[in-house]
Amino acid sequence: MQDRTDANSMANMLAGKQETFESEYIRFDALTALVIDDIGAMRHALRSQLQWMGINSIKVAADAQEALQQVEANHYDLVLCDYNLNKATSGQHFLEYLRSERLLSARTIFVMVTAEAEYAYVANAVEFAPDDYILKPCPEKKLRARLERLFDRRNFLLPALAAMDDKNYLQVVSECERLMTLVSNERWLLAALKLKAEALLALNDTTDLLKTYEQALALRDNVPWVKIGIARARMLLNEPDAAEEMARQIVADNPSYVAAYELLAEIRRMQKDEEGAYLLMEQSAKILPTAKRFRSNAESAFLLGKLDEAKQYAESAIRLSNGSITERPDDYLSLAHIQTDLGDPQGAIHTLEKSARRFEEKGAYGISRNAILAQAYFDAGDKAAAKRLPERAQRLLTPESGSSALNLIGKAAFKMGDSVLGLKMLTQAVQSSGLERERIARHVTKSMIDTGQHDKVEEVIDAGQRRVLALVDEARKSMHVAQFDAAYRKVLDALAIQSDNIEALFAAAQLHLLWLKRDGIDDDVQERAKSYLAVLDKLVPHNEKVMGFYRFYDQLTGA
Amino acid sequence: MQQTLSALVIHDIKNSLALLEADLEQLNHRADAPDEARKAYQRCIELKNRLICFLTLYKHEHAGLKPNISEVELFEFLEDLVAGSQSAMLASRHGHAIEVCVADLGIRIAPEVRRKGVASLDEYLVDLALESALNNAVRYAASKVDIWFEQDADRLTFFVLDDGPRPTRTGNAAQEASPGKPASTGLGLSLCKAVTEAHGGGSVALADAPGGGALFTMAFDIAG
Repeated sequence: MQDRTDANSMANMLAGKQETFESEYIRFDALTALVIDDIGAMRHALRSQLQWMGINSIKVAADAQEALQQVEANHYDLVLCDYNLNKATSGQHFLEYLRSERLLSARTIFVMVTAEAEYAYVANAVEFAPDDYILKPCPEKKLRARLERLFDRRNFLLPALAAMDDKNYLQVVSECERLMTLVSNERWLLAALKLKAEALLALNDTTDLLKTYEQALALRDNVPWVKIGIARARMLLNEPDAAEEMARQIVADNPSYVAAYELLAEIRRMQKDEEGAYLLMEQSAKILPTAKRFRSNAESAFLLGKLDEAKQYAESAIRLSNGSITERPDDYLSLAHIQTDLGDPQGAIHTLEKSARRFEEKGAYGISRNAILAQAYFDAGDKAAAKRLPERAQRLLTPESGSSALNLIGKAAFKMGDSVLGLKMLTQAVQSSGLERERIARHVTKSMIDTGQHDKVEEVIDAGQRRVLALVDEARKSMHVAQFDAAYRKVLDALAIQSDNIEALFAAAQLHLLWLKRDGIDDDVQERAKSYLAVLDKLVPHNEKVMGFYRFYDQLTGA
Repeated sequence: MQQTLSALVIHDIKNSLALLEADLEQLNHRADAPDEARKAYQRCIELKNRLICFLTLYKHEHAGLKPNISEVELFEFLEDLVAGSQSAMLASRHGHAIEVCVADLGIRIAPEVRRKGVASLDEYLVDLALESALNNAVRYAASKVDIWFEQDADRLTFFVLDDGPRPTRTGNAAQEASPGKPASTGLGLSLCKAVTEAHGGGSVALADAPGGGALFTMAFDIAG
């Protein structure tokens, strides 16, 4: 076995630097591993290879469902996952699911095992990329060399990764900065910069983000995540043109790069070009089809009035996720809603009463189901059945039911002639939409136009909020370039118009946290930060973003 | 239909070979593994390598190899290549051990190279090509095989040097193998050429080394 510090010494030799970090000998016997492969013989072969390396604690799983149970129940240092799991879930779907649900520890190394033909798919999955991939067949010696390299890097980053698992993002930033002073190996420096950028994004700290990505760019000018990072940072800094130019350049260099298309779509959306955003998302779903992408495209197409395309995407989402961990009852709601609007009430009734029969009629799903069925029965001429359903939907309502469900009851009410209930539900939907305001506002507008309520749209959607949102937007722009005083004035103006506006309160809390971070503890700023957080906690209890702010606050004040 | 069937059969053979290799690998871990087990393991690896080599060349000729380019840290890459090389491992299990190493002293990076020690390559394809070159080198080497790279502004060259007989005396790639060692098929050099072509061009050569032995070079016309 070669000495792994060689790579560092080589980098040092090239850079003329002195190394102060020494990599430790990797103790495979202390590691835990999970092997996921649907073919028994392959599973066995991979497990034996790991055993011969000295790993004693190895679990195996034959499919994503089994693997999910394992990941939820235990911590693994290593997950070796076959790309081609089964028809319903590929290794990439599984990884996307684990990462988006945050089920994977930052310390876990996820390696995708792929056949050569599948490699391009894995290599293009930038957003949810595995830590590494190995091509089948992989002899034990090669696997070992690869794993030693990966664990070497993980051990180097361990203090920062542990802080990441604790969601202590400030500490992640400071640990990464400390680690970067210890080595000159470019690959390790890049890994530390990548982790630091992730932590800054989690902190919503845009002031340091661009600088971090630019440091990475100075090391390597051809790494896709660095370019995507720069484009994203520019977008957050409200420089959409520069962001778009960068993202377009990535697409030109690598036309199959999904993350670049998705970022471009976000930029288009930011500029209120929904049609343009939809076209880009269509391209990304073509390159890497997942249920999540089909789902999101079904919604965009629906909102743009492209009902036939919406139906196709909704059906594809169901087909792709059926029987897999990514299956969602909401997909049946979307399909039935689209079918109703397409003038196929029988199809909608079939979707909800036959295909989605196994899902329990409770919570937001139950409300939405009854509201859509009410419209379908009404359209099908069964007025008696239609009349009972909105009542059933209302009985299930709770303060946490969510704006989408309220929108559907409102639409059903308008359709069936109950404009008092319709107006009440849709106004409530907009008011409780919080950070999803724009999306919900589009749905509510569509519901109102579809049911002939054009004249009331302004009244429901606006309700004095337009000025507030413009002020919040301006505040964010100032905040991103660290002009905190200017940002504060805008936030105060916004809150003077509407003191319980969620977005204004979010901006206020974030602004004060960044202020404390930059200038250190100041009693006034600290007091204000605390009070904004308290109001938010009351208005949107258990909100993940608010909890994140609280953690940030605790870390800043040492609480 | 016929093409789909062939693809399925080949896929199946490749998977079965990989499983057979894994089984033999396990068998050879045992202290009491018979000599036949080692030979079978070696044959299985040769066969698998030949199949992969053939498939890669077939793809190159029929559809063109499409490289999946990523940033490769060259020193780490060579280190991993040697650490994971089956040819190097099998060489050490022959009657006399052959030492395979990355020759630090041979590495040369021209001052005008912008990204020093880093290149945009398809790691898998280049690994395949260099593994085949290593395999050839250990087969003829007397005691030692060295591997290194040189990076210029517009060219990246890999070198594999062995201390065996000069290729001109034995007849280049088609040289006679030593008794008891498997004969070369000549696929290796074609594979290396295909890999350089897939990266946009370059050159591949096997020649007499200045101080004796054989020197394999594979150069890529890529900017550094």
